Amino acid sequence: MSNDSIFKTFLVAFLLCVVCSILVCLAAIVRIDKEAYNKQLEIRKTVLAAGGYQQQIDDGGSIDELFTSNMELKLVDLDTGEYTTAVDAATYNQREAVEDPELSKKIPTELDLAGIGTRAKYAAIYLDKSGAVVLPIRGGGMWGPMYAYIAIDPDGTTVKGLTFYQHAETPGLGAEIDNPNWKKLWPGKKVFKSSGSLALKVVKKGKYNASAADAVNTVDGLAGATVTGTKVHNIIRYWFGEDGYVPFLTKLKAERG
Amino acid sequence: MAKAKDALLDPLFNNNPIALQILGICSALAVTNKLSTALTMTIAVTLVTAFSNAAISAIRNHIPNSIRIIVQMTIIATLVIIIDQMLKAYAYEMSKALSVYVGLIITNCIVMGRAEAYAMKNPVGLSFLDGLGNGLGYGIVLLAVGFVRELFGSGKLFGVTILNTVNDGGWYVSNGLMLLAPSAFFLIGFIIWGLRTWKPELQE
Repeated sequence: MSNDSIFKTFLVAFLLCVVCSILVCLAAIVRIDKEAYNKQLEIRKTVLAAGGYQQQIDDGGSIDELFTSNMELKLVDLDTGEYTTAVDAATYNQREAVEDPELSKKIPTELDLAGIGTRAKYAAIYLDKSGAVVLPIRGGGMWGPMYAYIAIDPDGTTVKGLTFYQHAETPGLGAEIDNPNWKKLWPGKKVFKSSGSLALKVVKKGKYNASAADAVNTVDGLAGATVTGTKVHNIIRYWFGEDGYVPFLTKLKAERG
Repeated sequence: MAKAKDALLDPLFNNNPIALQILGICSALAVTNKLSTALTMTIAVTLVTAFSNAAISAIRNHIPNSIRIIVQMTIIATLVIIIDQMLKAYAYEMSKALSVYVGLIITNCIVMGRAEAYAMKNPVGLSFLDGLGNGLGYGIVLLAVGFVRELFGSGKLFGVTILNTVNDGGWYVSNGLMLLAPSAFFLIGFIIWGLRTWKPELQE
């Protein structure tokens, strides 16, 4: 039979498609479960790093073990600041909820410092055994969206740590937000003044003055990454504003502080 | 035997896919900021070229001429998807770092070029070696570029600190250009220059 006959052409195309699709399906089956676990592991690692467990992870501690023995997932209604069970916490995906009109809320333009447009109604936060809370925050960066977790002590104002897990900042400049030396500047900073007003800010590299009265509310920026610093600053300003975690942190402080 | 040796070793220097045929430049720019990503990409491309060449060669006498390109493409795409899925499953961090560039191996001209130019006319064993050689030829350039970029861009090799950078509290002021894709263009240019000075017969 000639290779170029119509029948042979269809036969070869058909057989090839069957063989290739079986192979692709098998590969996908192996991948699906593993990938879901890998994604979960990444979130757990970030939450632990923000919550002050980086040392234990570096020392070879099991991420799953550290996580399950220290962290508890809770859903918070951001408007009221109360814990909620309106949706199932185990299956809730905050990043997908942003796309769902039922589960998200448009942010008024004048409040939208982080440049995100909409936010989920419910935040998936983690309660640390120590009483600290690990909160998801996000916002626009220089080249793309940035996602992070920030941990706050039970007093509702002291930062325990900040860790980004997804961003597209410039390598070598803005991407230094992942540098442990920069992340070390965050623990101990106060988000609010004692009067309760939002005070935490990221300043341009070199403008930080350790002896100034507001040094405890100030984080030094990164060299050559002024835009990234401003973006991080805006993200903090939005998420610790009235539209963000203020109702929740006020409640938290009243209960535990 | 000599033919097998040529098929494997020729693409390394004499007929290097990047330096001589100027193919596969896009991914060579994108994945060479670190040696670890360059190495993973090398392995992925080598596996794809070797096995797609072998598979296409094995059925070369049954491929209808009118659909030969799409047949090659289907085989290449299948292999690339399998590798992409395996990276996502077993090397998640690496697959995040390589992002879309693993999937883009499908459009890498080296793979398609070897299938059309070599595997359609040669037996399975030789085609396999030719694919292996071309993948490695691509990889040599990738690793050379990755070595320079990671060393001078972030002061590290395979993530191990060699030059302690200022950002980490050391003395080395890193070269920011090396972290960005255009630096790979310059480095590949230097490699092509060097190779053609060393082997003048490669000059056009």
